[in-house]
Order: sequence, then structure tokens, then C-alpha cells
Amino acid sequence: MATLRFADVRRRFGRLAVLTGVSGAAGEGEALLVTGRNGSGKSTLLRCLAGLLAPDSGTIEYSEAERPLDAAGRRRRVGLVAPELALYGELTVEENLDFFARLRGVEGGRGRELLARLDLPAGRLAANLSSGMRQRLRWAWALLHRPRLLLLDEPFQNLDAAGARAVRELLAEHLGTAPEAARRGLAVIANPIPLDIDGVAARLDLDR
Amino acid sequence: MESLKDTLAWLLWLWICAVVLGAFYYAPLAIGFIGQSSRILFFHVPMAWTAFVAFIAAGVSSLRYLFGGRDARHDRAAAAAVELGLVFGVLATISGALWARIMWGAYWNWDPRQTSIVIALVFYGAYLALRDAIDDGERRARLAAAYAVLGLVVTPFFFFVLPRITYSLHPESVVNTRFKVDMEPRMLQVLLAGSAGFTALFFWMLNLRSRLQARQEIAERRELERG
Amino acid sequence: MVSRRVSTWTAEAAAVFAKEWRCELRTRYALNTLALFTFTTLVVVSMSLGPIGISLAQGSGVLPVLLWLILLFASAAGLPRAFVHEEETQTATALRLAATPSALFCGKLAYGLTLVAALEALLTPLYLAAMSLAIASPTLLVAALAAGGYGLAAGSTLVAAIIAQARGKGTLFAVLSFPVFLPLLLLAVELTGKAVAGQPGGGVTLVQLVLYDASVTVASLMLFPAVWNP
Repeated sequence: MATLRFADVRRRFGRLAVLTGVSGAAGEGEALLVTGRNGSGKSTLLRCLAGLLAPDSGTIEYSEAERPLDAAGRRRRVGLVAPELALYGELTVEENLDFFARLRGVEGGRGRELLARLDLPAGRLAANLSSGMRQRLRWAWALLHRPRLLLLDEPFQNLDAAGARAVRELLAEHLGTAPEAARRGLAVIANPIPLDIDGVAARLDLDR
Repeated sequence: MESLKDTLAWLLWLWICAVVLGAFYYAPLAIGFIGQSSRILFFHVPMAWTAFVAFIAAGVSSLRYLFGGRDARHDRAAAAAVELGLVFGVLATISGALWARIMWGAYWNWDPRQTSIVIALVFYGAYLALRDAIDDGERRARLAAAYAVLGLVVTPFFFFVLPRITYSLHPESVVNTRFKVDMEPRMLQVLLAGSAGFTALFFWMLNLRSRLQARQEIAERRELERG
Repeated sequence: MVSRRVSTWTAEAAAVFAKEWRCELRTRYALNTLALFTFTTLVVVSMSLGPIGISLAQGSGVLPVLLWLILLFASAAGLPRAFVHEEETQTATALRLAATPSALFCGKLAYGLTLVAALEALLTPLYLAAMSLAIASPTLLVAALAAGGYGLAAGSTLVAAIIAQARGKGTLFAVLSFPVFLPLLLLAVELTGKAVAGQPGGGVTLVQLVLYDASVTVASLMLFPAVWNP
């Protein structure tokens, strides 16, 4: 059983109050869709949930198998897809996934499996990828360690039809809405405009 | 509670006045010093001591911030301690240089104690430069605290290194190996009273500065919520 | 499961170390910077203070200082990139989520150590040759370079992690690292001088230098998680 719950999360940057008391929750097999215009705090919220940013106040509770995880635990356990996430341009796609697989203690085959699923050129330097390919690589990176909680910031950005299809399948498998899913994960999806995705159980609109 | 604080503040004021008067009228002149110049001792030494106290206070506050719950109060205290330490340190350096000029004709000669106060000043400056270079409050507190602790860890090594500079113009340390103090009693009294007074002054100013900073942050936040 | 945790930890640190060198060998940024730095300073020092320019007695006092100044500035030019580059290219986010902080620190430290070792290996023989300097105690010199070089690498790694998250990174690194390195430099210079001239008392200085290295290492390991993550 995995659950995510956050309440009254606030975050300021200097004089700018970006998050002003935001609350939400997601359970297994559920996706929380966060919408709002640019600058409404979607990315900030996701960074807080990922443990990359400490909120000024409020609570974020995430637990897997009844065990609560603190920010450090969340950092290791989440899968994040975000525009500002970059991988090493000097390394090839395969070398990048290999490095992170080593860091996370994941077997080498997993990276190759994701490369194939997302149709990524293994031997190309990450710096030479198109923006669409770069987004696919972000997805591969995020799913490498089979995370229970996916945090997706503009997940379909720059993807072509094939890429979007592959990614939708992966998300469906993650949430367990696909029939052959083994266990169900959770997701928080942030996007400027609403998305049509199976499994969206709740919506949080940051433009109040 | 407020009247207790006011009373203590008045007591401190009186104490410092007594120290100043004592420095000029109660304590005798030290042998071997030119004219009235030994009077500087009663200001220079307490201020140098207080700058040292400030360094430790900043380090301790930083440790408490990092490993004791990330309470913003400790961060404010550390920053205030460094600012005040800078003030006391600069005053100690200037008073020491003036005295050196009178006694030995040179403002500066890198003897161990002059050098150590300069190193403290450099650390203070670096700490404040770091704070200045970070915009986000949480990150600034965290990184500044880490640097302060690193500084604290490194400073004992100056004790190994500085005595290498064997030629020291500083007056012989007044405490010899049997811990008997080799100084005129009345001079010692004023000196200790001065050190106590300046240390109390430092902590009082630290408290004021921290509270002022806290009030400023609350005011800013209120302004944000309104607008 | 302690042994499994330890083996994944070492695998992580090794992976970081390997990644650093793989990227570095492809861009050669740090190696080029260090080589260029070494070459220019060596030429200037050698021309002005070489055997023709200065007497041996005067020289042996000054030369340890110059050696360590060159090492200091070269390290400042080449080492901080380990963290600054991560923040600037935004790969730091991925690392924050994927790596254990202590393993990351040790991997980066190991990288810094090998860079400093390469720098010293390149600089020292050339330097000694250019100055026609005879070493009374070569083992002590090697010990000085090892202990001093370690201190430079360890201090640089933590300070680089700090300034990488601030503005004005170049000057800020110099400002923050100078007071931290000062005792290290003074001890290293003294020890090098003793190694060159064959004076006694080097053992004590070496012990103090090693103590400094140990203190900075322990402090860095304890502080790095707080520096790296909120």
C-alpha cells in the first residue's frame, strides 16, 4: 500500500509567494492532475514532493508498504520527469542509463529494455539528441528503478505521436490500469492544460 | 520580563562605564610601556577576546541549525554573531595596530596574535560574502552554516602553525605555567571586568540583532500576504 | 544486509569516479586547464628564479612557497568544475535523486585526488629540474606532496559543492577556500622546505598535516549531505 498526502504546502522565493497553502492526495492506481498557468507553482510543488526543495511550511507524507519516507527517502524512491532535468551530454544514451543503473543498484538489462521500449538510439551522445528524444530519455531515466511514485512535469513535452503513445502505455502500466500490471503505482502529473489520461482520480488547479 | 531586560541593560551600561573609568583612573600604568599607552590594553584585549567568542558562537549556532532541526533562529544568530564579530575584530585590529605603532614604531608585523585576528576577519568576510551570493533563504542558511562549521574545524590548526613565527612582539603571556597571574592586581581586575563587560555587550547586541532580523522577516511576509 | 549495502555503496562511488573521468577524457577541460597553468607558471618562475636568476641559498627558501602557490591556483582552476559543471548543466537534479550523498562525495573526492596527483606528478619533476634543486630527503617530499595534495583535493571538493549553488562562483571559490587552505599551505610549505634542505622536525609537521587532512575529511563527510540536499 502506497499513499501520498500533502497539506497546506507553502513556498516563497524571496518576495514571491509561489505556493500558498496547497493540498492534495493520491493513492495506489491513482494520478493527481495538477493544472495551472505558467508560474502558478506546478514545478515548485513537484520539486517539493520529490524532496528537492524544502517547503516553508506544510506537510508532505508519503509511505510505501505502510512505512513513511522522509525527504531523503522520497528522493531515492520517486521517478521524476521534468523539463529542467538533464543528463550528461558527454555520455551516450546507453552510458547515461548504465551510470544511473549502477548508482541505483539496478540490473543492466533494465536500461536496455527501456531503450527498446522508447526507441532510443543507444550509441548517440545525449548532447546530440533532438528535444523529443531527450524527453524519451527522461522517461527512461525516471522508470529505471521501477519507482512507485511518478512525478511528471509536462510529461508529453516535445513528444511526437509515437513517443506519446509509448509514454502513455508506460504510464498506464505504472498506474496499473493496463490489464497485465503487477502492482499499482501513483503519479502526480503537472501540466499547463488538462490532459486526458486514464487513472486521473483527482484534480488540483493552482489558478484559484 | 521587559523591565528585567531593561534593568540588565542599564546594569551593563553602568558596568562598561565603570570599566572605562577604571581603565583611566583606577588601574596603574604598566611598566615598560610608553606613557599612557598601556591603557589601550583594557579595550584592545576584551575586544579581541569578544571577536574570538563571536567566532565560537557563530560555529555553535551553525551546528545547532544544521543538526538541531533547521530552526531559523539559529541561522539568524549565526549571521548576527559573524557581523558583530567583524565589528569587534576590526576594532581590536585597529586598536592593536595603534598600540603597536606607539610601542614599536610599526603598525603591523605579522606576529601570531595579529595574524590570528586577521584570519578570523577573513573568515567572517568569506561567510558574509557567501550569504550575499545566495538568494534563497533556506539554501543560504544551510550553506552558510556548513561553511561556518568547516571554519570551526580548521581554526585549531592555526594554533599549530602560527607559533612557528617565533618572533613575537606581543607582551609575554600573563599566565605562566603555574597558572599564577603575573600582573598588577588592579590592572587584572579592570582587564577581566572589561572582558566580561564586552562579552555581555556582544551577547546583548547579538540578541537585539537576531530579534530585529526576525521582526524584519515577519514584516516582509505580512507585506507579501497583503499584496 | 550490511555487506550488501557496503558493496552497493562502493559500486556507487566507483561509478561516480568512472563517470567523472569518462566525461573529463572526452572534453579534456580540466586536464587542459591544469597543463596550461602548469606550463605558463613554470616558464615564468624558471626564467626569473632559475639557477641563473637567483642564488641557491635565497632560492631554497622561496621555492617551496612558489611550488605550493602554483598547486593551489591550479587546483582552484581545475577542481571546482566537478560540482559547478553539474549545477550549470542541470545534471545535479538527476544526481540528487539517484545518488547516495556520501558515495557521491567520495567518488568526486577520488576524482579530485587523481587530478591533483596527476598535476603534482607533472609539475614537480619539471619544477625541480628547472630550478636545479637537489632534494635532501625525497621521501619526505613525496609525503609532503601526498598529504598536502590530499588536503587541497578534500577542501576543494566541499567548498566547490557549496559555491556551485551560489552566484559568482569563480571569485567566491577563491574567497571561501583561502582561509580554509591557509593552515594547510603553511604546513605543506614548511614540510617541503624541510624536505629540500634536510632539516629535522619534519615528522611533527607531517603528523599535523595528516591531522588536518583527517579533520577536513570527517567534517566534509558530515557536512556534505546538508550542503547537497535541502
